Amino acid sequence: MTPVADSLRPRLRSHRLRAGLRSAWIALDPLRLFGVVLFVGVWQLCTLMLPPIILPTPWGVVSRLSADFWSAPALSYYGVSEANLYGNLLYTAENVVIAVAIGAAIGILSGLLSARFALFRAVVDPVMMTAGTVPILIAAPFLLIWFGVGRASAVCLVIFYVAVILYVFAGRAARNLDPIYEQSARTLGATSRRMVRDILIPATVPEILGGLRIALAGAWGLEAISELLGAQSGMGKVLEVLAGATDPQGIMATLLVLGLTAIVADGLMALAVARIAQWSAPGR
Amino acid sequence: MSPPVDRRMIELANVQRTFKRGDGTTVQAISDVSLTVPEGEFVCMIGTSGCGKSTLLSMVAGLLEPSDGSIVVDGREIDGPGRERGMVFQKDSVFPWMRVIDNVEYGLKCRGVPASERRAIARTYLQRVGLAHVETAWPRELSGGMLKRVAIATVFANGGKVLMLDEPFGALDYVTRHQLQDVLLDLWDETGGKAARRTILFVTHDVDEALSLADRILVFGTGRLVDDLRVDAPRPRDTDSLLQPDMVAIKHRLLGHLGLERPTGRAVARGTAA
Repeated sequence: MTPVADSLRPRLRSHRLRAGLRSAWIALDPLRLFGVVLFVGVWQLCTLMLPPIILPTPWGVVSRLSADFWSAPALSYYGVSEANLYGNLLYTAENVVIAVAIGAAIGILSGLLSARFALFRAVVDPVMMTAGTVPILIAAPFLLIWFGVGRASAVCLVIFYVAVILYVFAGRAARNLDPIYEQSARTLGATSRRMVRDILIPATVPEILGGLRIALAGAWGLEAISELLGAQSGMGKVLEVLAGATDPQGIMATLLVLGLTAIVADGLMALAVARIAQWSAPGR
Repeated sequence: MSPPVDRRMIELANVQRTFKRGDGTTVQAISDVSLTVPEGEFVCMIGTSGCGKSTLLSMVAGLLEPSDGSIVVDGREIDGPGRERGMVFQKDSVFPWMRVIDNVEYGLKCRGVPASERRAIARTYLQRVGLAHVETAWPRELSGGMLKRVAIATVFANGGKVLMLDEPFGALDYVTRHQLQDVLLDLWDETGGKAARRTILFVTHDVDEALSLADRILVFGTGRLVDDLRVDAPRPRDTDSLLQPDMVAIKHRLLGHLGLERPTGRAVARGTAA
């Protein structure tokens, strides 16, 4: 038996804990905090020179947010079915979650298949690549003809967007997988089912989750814009009617809600990525 | 039923392998290799880069099919990879997404060995390669030498009768390489009895490594088996035993084959063909 020097002993302390502390530190970084304070300060200064109809005050936006969140009767007057921000946010969030789930399933599956089967790739690649280069929003009016102003048209648009992104990420992850792992698994006696479950999927998960995070971030905006073009509820619909009513304070309050939600969702996603892909390099 | 001594473990008959290059020309990587390896023998395969030794190993592992000829292992003609033939690769093959112990268990898991039993086996081998303390570590936390120990523990834990190692220690530093040679010999010698020994095919570039490990050294050149030398020196082979006249003679002969030395009358050994 060859003794192993103590210097070879690896750093076994929990990486997760340290990564968590580090991200908390970054979030509380005084310089970052200063950036936010500076932004709000400049904003406040500008309001001194501009009329509130052009630029509402920061405090005005925040108090409007807290007032409108649970109840905004004006919205029903403009024809929004939910007369509060909360209900519309829920509507938008539901659509985003549904669309990201379906789009991710389609994108990941077709991406992995295209990396493994040349025939599948030859057929699907041109379609996906064309779809990826077309600015997806121009399809919105067309989807409105098909699906009307219900959930379906906005959800379809987002599914499309998410599927293309994940197709690219999953395909690349699987193609970049070093064949040594599959060879090694084969010599250890793995069946093809095990190879998919134990090698292909876990090896590609970090990169796929990275793509999912990007897709999710974009999905909020795309969903809101397609609601703006035609919907009965949702944050996009709220923005549309508030723009029609020339209400910058309401618009900024709505945008703030949407922005904060997207940031929280992204943070949760980042936590999930860090947890599931613990094995890959820390601090990704 | 204990196997008879010198039972044939690996039999290669007229094995050939050709590759098609990108420009359409074919390259003969292995041309007509026939050899027999008895059970429990430690065989080193040596030769210059591109001589086909790694190709031959991949064929015995079942990762490559021979273009012609047959490969019989333990009495059965091989058809693809099998768990009776373990392989340690030149590159790092430890799965980064499994903890060290799960890596060592993986072959046993594929075979359906119950969780507690396979954990016990994996622990035994991790301990024997000196890695008991990193059981739950992620592979990225280990050094290159430690990853090789994990790979070796994995194939030994899987219980294959034939183990193939493709330049496993090539990328390691001098000290680590020698430590791992000891680990490997220790595991190979497992229960001390010859019957329990695995049959090892070990591809290397390093003449001294072959001399300190092998029972037998096969020399390859341009896809052919060019020499077959027996190394009878007792183990463990220390610095002094490598300086014995027999060993030096074999070394001269190997260096001659590798084109590093012109054979002189004095230095030619009497190689015993098996």
